Amino acid sequence: MFKLTCSIVNSLSTACRQASTKGTSFSRTFHGTAVGFQEVAASSKDSSEASRDFSHFPPLPGHDSPLRWGGKKFEELPILHIKATYNNTHIQLTDCEGQSLVRTSCGTEGFKNIKKSTPVAAQTAAISAAAKATAKGVTFVRVIVKGLGPGRLSAIKGLTMGGLEVVSITDNTPVPHNGCRPRKARRM
Amino acid sequence: MARHLRFVARTVMVQDGNVDAAYKHLNRVLTQDGIIETVKRKRYFEKPCRERQRKNYENCKRIYDTEMARKIAFISRTIRTDPWVGS
Repeated sequence: MFKLTCSIVNSLSTACRQASTKGTSFSRTFHGTAVGFQEVAASSKDSSEASRDFSHFPPLPGHDSPLRWGGKKFEELPILHIKATYNNTHIQLTDCEGQSLVRTSCGTEGFKNIKKSTPVAAQTAAISAAAKATAKGVTFVRVIVKGLGPGRLSAIKGLTMGGLEVVSITDNTPVPHNGCRPRKARRM
Repeated sequence: MARHLRFVARTVMVQDGNVDAAYKHLNRVLTQDGIIETVKRKRYFEKPCRERQRKNYENCKRIYDTEMARKIAFISRTIRTDPWVGS
């Protein structure tokens, strides 16, 4: 199943790359599958791509890309999860297998109640997480963001301020296809 | 996205440590895919009657906006055929 998905993704990506290099113009409003849309979005940056050899998409699991960060392949880099809820921001660093290394949040930094739901608190939590991570010998990291909270962008900024190198940003916000019923609408 | 391959969809690579540009790119991709507005809407439950009203309103607004854009493009066109040919 995994190999089948990889082969499908490979053929789709090569087909899209060939289509984009032929110079067909796609507008930004084109909607498609996630992989297809990412290919289309990059075709508008073709000129910079050709000169830079940089693509906005990550190296896919089936592909063997030559990119290395600190000697590690993309799949072996540690993952940093940022859960940005509306009341707080949690940051957890795990290695590629999933073993937790560092865990901080706005609450562990000494903020309480309403001050936890601020971008400044998320930034301080990120700086302390970056400091602990560099103490453990981690330099390059992939970031996964979950949730639309106030600390979503400032946590990533705090990581770079704390000295950690961000390689890629993934958005893993849970989108239910009409699963659990959320709470009732607030009337203010 | 727990049942899918990780780091394939909704992922953006950071170029030359420019995290802000990468985040903007990610935000633009998510908005155009309609994920941000879906997440905001599903925060609280939307009753079916309110959902039908909203869909109706969005349809009407879309029709109105396209027609108005067509009108404006027609009025503000620069290449026109000469209505007084010959005189």
